[in-house]
Amino acid sequence: MQLSDTDLIIQAQKGDQNAFEELVYRYDRNVLSITIKYANNQDDAKDLYQEVFIRVYRGIKNFKFQSEFSTWLFRITTNVCLTYKSRSKEHLRVSIDKEFDDEENEFSTTKELVYDGSSPEEISSGSNLGEIVNAAVESLSPKQKMTFVLKHYEGYKIREIAEMMNCKEGTVKKYLFDATKNLRKKLSPVYA
Amino acid sequence: MKHNEYKQLLQLSLFGELKSEEQLKLKKHLLTCEECRIELEDQKNLLELISGKQKTNVDEKVLIAARYQLRGALRSERSSNNILNSITENIFQYFTTPLKFAFAGAALLIVGFVIGGIFFSKSSQSEFTSQQAGENRFASLSEDISISNVRFIDSDASDGEVEFTFEASRPVRLKGNINDQQIQSVLTYAMLNEQNPGSRLNSINAMNSEKPVQYDNDVKNALITVVMTDENPGVRREALKLMSKLPYDESVKQTFLYVITNDTVSGLRIEALNALIVTASQGHKLNQEELNLFRNKLQDDENPYIKLRSKTILQEYN
Repeated sequence: MQLSDTDLIIQAQKGDQNAFEELVYRYDRNVLSITIKYANNQDDAKDLYQEVFIRVYRGIKNFKFQSEFSTWLFRITTNVCLTYKSRSKEHLRVSIDKEFDDEENEFSTTKELVYDGSSPEEISSGSNLGEIVNAAVESLSPKQKMTFVLKHYEGYKIREIAEMMNCKEGTVKKYLFDATKNLRKKLSPVYA
Repeated sequence: MKHNEYKQLLQLSLFGELKSEEQLKLKKHLLTCEECRIELEDQKNLLELISGKQKTNVDEKVLIAARYQLRGALRSERSSNNILNSITENIFQYFTTPLKFAFAGAALLIVGFVIGGIFFSKSSQSEFTSQQAGENRFASLSEDISISNVRFIDSDASDGEVEFTFEASRPVRLKGNINDQQIQSVLTYAMLNEQNPGSRLNSINAMNSEKPVQYDNDVKNALITVVMTDENPGVRREALKLMSKLPYDESVKQTFLYVITNDTVSGLRIEALNALIVTASQGHKLNQEELNLFRNKLQDDENPYIKLRSKTILQEYN
C-alpha cells in the first residue's frame, strides 16, 4: 500500500532518506516543469529544481502540517524562481544596456529581440517565432512571468497560484492582466 | 458594470476562471459591444500564439539528470552535516583534557578556528570575569595565541569596568600515523574547508598512502563532497583517485555516476568511467536506469574517448 504524504513526511522528519526521496519523486515532475517554463533554459531549470528540494530537505524537519505539503513545496518553488538570477541572463544584462521601466516594473533588455521589423508573414513562417515569444515572456517582471507561466503554461487556477505565491487572488489577477498587456504590446506586430 | 471591467472578464473567461453568472453577463455584453468582441479576438490570437509551450511532459532525460544532480547535492548536504558534527566531537575530545580548549561564540560552525585551538569552555560563548580568568582560565594564555574578533558589549569604562567577547586561537603541530582517527579528522576538515586549493590537495594526498589505510566513514563522505563540489578540478581529481581505493559500495558508485553525468572536465569523467570499468570487471552491477546514462553518453558526450569508454561500460555491464 502506498504511504500518504503525511506518513512520508513524518518518516523523512525522522531522517529516513528513502521516504524523503519518495516524496520528492511524487512532485518533482511538476516542479521541474515549472522551473523549465520559468527559466526557459534547461541548465537553469535543473539548478532551480535542485535548490527547491535542498530547501525542502533543510526545512522538512520544521514542517508543521499547517498546509498541504504540495502547497508548501510549490510556495518554495515560486520563491526560488522569483529570487533566482539566471547566469545567462546576468550575462545578457551586462552586455546590453539595461532599461528599467518603473511604471511597468519590467525589464526591457530583450525588447530588441522581440520585434525586429520583419513582416508578420516573414515572422510566422520563420523559425524565430518561438524565440520572439520567448523573449517577450522573458521581458516580463519576475512576478508577472511566474503567474503567467503557472496559469497559462501549467494550467493552475488563480486560487492555487495565490496560495503558491502567498498573495491574494486579486494580486494574481493584476499580475496576469499586466503580463497580458505587456505581451500584447511586444507581440502585436506578430499576430495582429 | 463598467466597460473596463468587462475587458478583465474577457481574460478570465479565456483562462476558464469565470463563474457561470459572470460568463452569462459577459456573453450578453458581447452581443452589444463590438469593441469587446474585437478585444476578445485579439486576446484569443495572442494566447494562440504563445500556446506553443503549454503543458507538455517533462523530458525524461532531463528529469533523470536533474534527479542525479539532486541526489548528489543531498548526499553532499548530509555528509557536510555529519562530517561537521563528527569533526567537532573529535576535536573537542582531542583538546579537552590537556589543554582546556573550547569554542567561542556561535562560530562553532567555523571549526577552522578551533583547529588553532580556542580555549575557555565548551559552551558556545563563555562568560568570565577577569578575576576568574586570572585564576585559571587564562593560565594557558601564551605568546603564540592570537586574538581576533574583539567585540565590545560594554566599552564604557566610566564605572571602571568593560566587557567584551573575543576569539583566541593558536597553532597546533600534529604528528601521527595516517590511520589515527584524529589525524584523519583534521585532514578531512582541511580537504573540505581550507581556502587554499593547494592545502586541500595536500590533505587528500597525505591520506593517499602506499601502505594500507583504514579510512573511516567521515573520510569517505568528505571525499564524496569534494568530488562533487570542489571548484578546483585538480582537487576533485585527487579526491576521485583516493575514492577509487575505498571499498566499492552504492555511495561510491553514485559518486562516479555523478561525475560522469555532471562534471564539466572530461578528464574527470574519464577517470570516473575507468574506475567504474574496474568495478565491472570485479563483478559489480549497474541497473537499467544507470545503464541508460551511458547510452546517452554514447550518443551525446562531446568527447570521443568518453563515447568509447561508455561503449566499453555497456559491454562490460550487459
